[in-house]
Amino acid sequence: MNETHISSKQPIALKLLLIFGLAILLCAEGYFGYHLHQLSERQEEIKKDYSSVNNISSGLFSVDQWRDKVSGIVSHQIRDFTLSPKQKKDLQKEVEQIIIALIDKAEALINKPKKTIDGKIKKFIVKNFVNTDDFREKAPSLAKDIIAKVYNPKNKKQLSNIAMSKFDALERAEYLDSTVAATKAATDKIYKKYQATSNEELNNKLTSSLSQIRTLTYNYSFAMLGCIAIVLSLWWILRKRVDLHATLFIMSLMFAFILLFIGLTASMIEVDARIKTLDFMVLGEHVIFENQVLFFQSKSILDVVKVLIGQPGTDAVLVGILILVFSILFPVMKLSATGIHLLSKRKIARNKIIRYFAFQSGKWSMADVIVIAILMVYIGLNGLLDSQLRSLNIKSDDLNVITTNNTALQPGYIIFISFVLYGLILSTILKFISPHESH
Amino acid sequence: MKATRKTIMPNILLTVGLSLLLCGEAWFGYRISTLSSQQEEIKTDYSVSNNITFGILSVDQWREKMAAVVDEKVNQFNMTAWQKKELQKKVAKQLNTLVDKAVAEVNKPQKSIGGKLKKLAFNAVVDPEEIKAEVPNFAATIVDKINKPASKKRLKGIINAKIDQLKKETFDNTEPASVTVKRHIYKKYHVDNTAAFEKKINLQLSNIRKLMYIYTFGMIGCVLLALCLWLLLKKQVRLHTALYILSLLFAFVLLLVGVTSTIIEVDARIQSLNFTLLGEKLAFSNQVLFFQSKSITGIIKSLVGQPKPDAVLVGILILLFVIILPVLRMMGKGILIWGREKYAENKLVRFLALDLGKWDMADVIVVGIAMTYIGLNGILQSQLSDLNIKEELLSTVTQNNSSLQPGYYIFIAYVAYVSVLSLILKRIKPIEV
Repeated sequence: MNETHISSKQPIALKLLLIFGLAILLCAEGYFGYHLHQLSERQEEIKKDYSSVNNISSGLFSVDQWRDKVSGIVSHQIRDFTLSPKQKKDLQKEVEQIIIALIDKAEALINKPKKTIDGKIKKFIVKNFVNTDDFREKAPSLAKDIIAKVYNPKNKKQLSNIAMSKFDALERAEYLDSTVAATKAATDKIYKKYQATSNEELNNKLTSSLSQIRTLTYNYSFAMLGCIAIVLSLWWILRKRVDLHATLFIMSLMFAFILLFIGLTASMIEVDARIKTLDFMVLGEHVIFENQVLFFQSKSILDVVKVLIGQPGTDAVLVGILILVFSILFPVMKLSATGIHLLSKRKIARNKIIRYFAFQSGKWSMADVIVIAILMVYIGLNGLLDSQLRSLNIKSDDLNVITTNNTALQPGYIIFISFVLYGLILSTILKFISPHESH
Repeated sequence: MKATRKTIMPNILLTVGLSLLLCGEAWFGYRISTLSSQQEEIKTDYSVSNNITFGILSVDQWREKMAAVVDEKVNQFNMTAWQKKELQKKVAKQLNTLVDKAVAEVNKPQKSIGGKLKKLAFNAVVDPEEIKAEVPNFAATIVDKINKPASKKRLKGIINAKIDQLKKETFDNTEPASVTVKRHIYKKYHVDNTAAFEKKINLQLSNIRKLMYIYTFGMIGCVLLALCLWLLLKKQVRLHTALYILSLLFAFVLLLVGVTSTIIEVDARIQSLNFTLLGEKLAFSNQVLFFQSKSITGIIKSLVGQPKPDAVLVGILILLFVIILPVLRMMGKGILIWGREKYAENKLVRFLALDLGKWDMADVIVVGIAMTYIGLNGILQSQLSDLNIKEELLSTVTQNNSSLQPGYYIFIAYVAYVSVLSLILKRIKPIEV
């Protein structure tokens, strides 16, 4: 396994062939990785646009939306305002009482002692010709007439028009219009960007391009994994050709580097929290809000680190740094250490730190895999309420449940796991081919 | 002959003694895992019945609270003097226009003699100015009449009936769902109202917590005793084999309990939301936004149960690296120490016992869970503190009850214990590797 073994012409030619072949494969992997990277960036952008269009602040929390819905309901209520027979009867009684009170008052006024002759004559006439008791008896029918008058369709329409005009004035408040204009400008910009005219069209376009990107990213990531599989099978084929091992190993390390880079920068977790539907009756009218996006983003490991380091709490920052260490520093150290171990002299190669990084440290990259997996389990919380409600035979579709069930792992995650596993396999291989005793 | 007997006796003694201890540990472990699943169930029930869907997000709840406020307002309605004056003014204005209209009507040019006569009589008898002078009096009468208790009661009755009618037209579907859920859960805990439910649950939970900590310490105590035995019997090389195999069983029990009992619990809630509406206080309390409580097996199960293949893959990887490989390693070590040359020299056994350390990720998961916990806690804390509002009209208090559970500590104990065992193995079995 010493370098001196490689002396004949044939191995050199083979070596060159191997390097050449692997370099092409490496280029292919790099190409796939580059595309994956691009796609995941585009995906992030589309998600951002999608969530800003469907965001809860332009739906459920939007004054604009509520104004439209409420004004519909209110105008309906005003136009169709009705009183039940009992209510009518009560009201009638009330009017009746007022009329009687008025008659009493009038009578009292007239019965006041008058000083002028004119007044005395009037009092006399009224007393003799007008029977106030008659009026009192008529009060119920009068009240009925009044209610009927107010309640007849024509008058009701007039009254409701007055109310409506008041309401419209309220609705067209100045400050409202300015906020509406601002949101409209923002959405218009997004519409223009995707050449869509309506919200529905835009959503269709965005979801279809998202699903397209998803299949593409999966294809590219499987292609990358395919390259890795080829390299590993080369190891199997060439397991007897000891002279080629060093070359093959160094090339394998290159593959690992590309995997690591893509695994870190491509999106690996997608968090999607939304209120599916919010459907309720207000004053006999349906109010429906659908697809209210609370949060819809995909993040790569580097983004997660950034978010954590940006937190105010020191413990979160610490975790951010730990993730950084486990996902970037350890793997890079490990790859370099394996390279050094293989190539360098015995003394350096037997250095404890180098050996630790070359053989043992790989598994610590798994810490990230675990963190993200657990985060996903915890964030994807739909299961809790859904299953409980189902066991009680309640359809949760009708309820205003917040779901984050679309939380999913992304191709970047698969790439990162394969990097970790690949690294572990490489260090196992290293143990077999190492020129220096590893134990 | 004597020598063998001498070794057999202590061996049996040791085995019996340690078996007893092992039974103790296993019992503690069993209790811990049942208690933690019980706790998980109680907390899940609690968070379902207090879910935000049945609280702040429920239109039915809002309707009840709003209706109560409006009812109160209507029933306590009283006109202030100023309002009475204003109303009186308005009524007077209406009456004046009415009088004007009536006069104009009578004064229209009449054609018939009867009409003309009427007009004459009217003009002679009625002086519009005089009537108008009386208008304020009439207006006052009307307003007084409306403000009489009987009238007010009647009018309030009409308004209340209308409000009830509107109330009936405002709903979503949370009410029947929440009633069913509550009834189901209350029945399960044999309580009949919210206060009793809370009290019972809090009592049970604090009991469980106390017991769980006691059992956890019990388990760790058993393991420490086993380790002490190693110190005591350092010189008794003959006993080492039996001791080691039993120690492995201790580790196995620790792993089993650590993996099946709850490790983290995430619980974010709005403890109280108070605000003032039309002078009335409205309050929502204990709104559970988010609750999850999982053991490692729970995490694996939910990952494997997902429809997405990548999540399933991760679940299987965790299962492999955290449960299956540690168990295999322990078995490998056990076979290696048991001593039959044939097995001990077996390549597979040696590989399992000695070379698999790199792939055994129980220690990694300990770090991973701690990182998840701190990260999740930090994010939740910052998100929730954004929701904390303290103003005169609106105040909310949020609470983040996330915590690491005993299962996590047991898992740490397992990892530490196993690494100690590995060290011991190296010392008592100096195999040239």
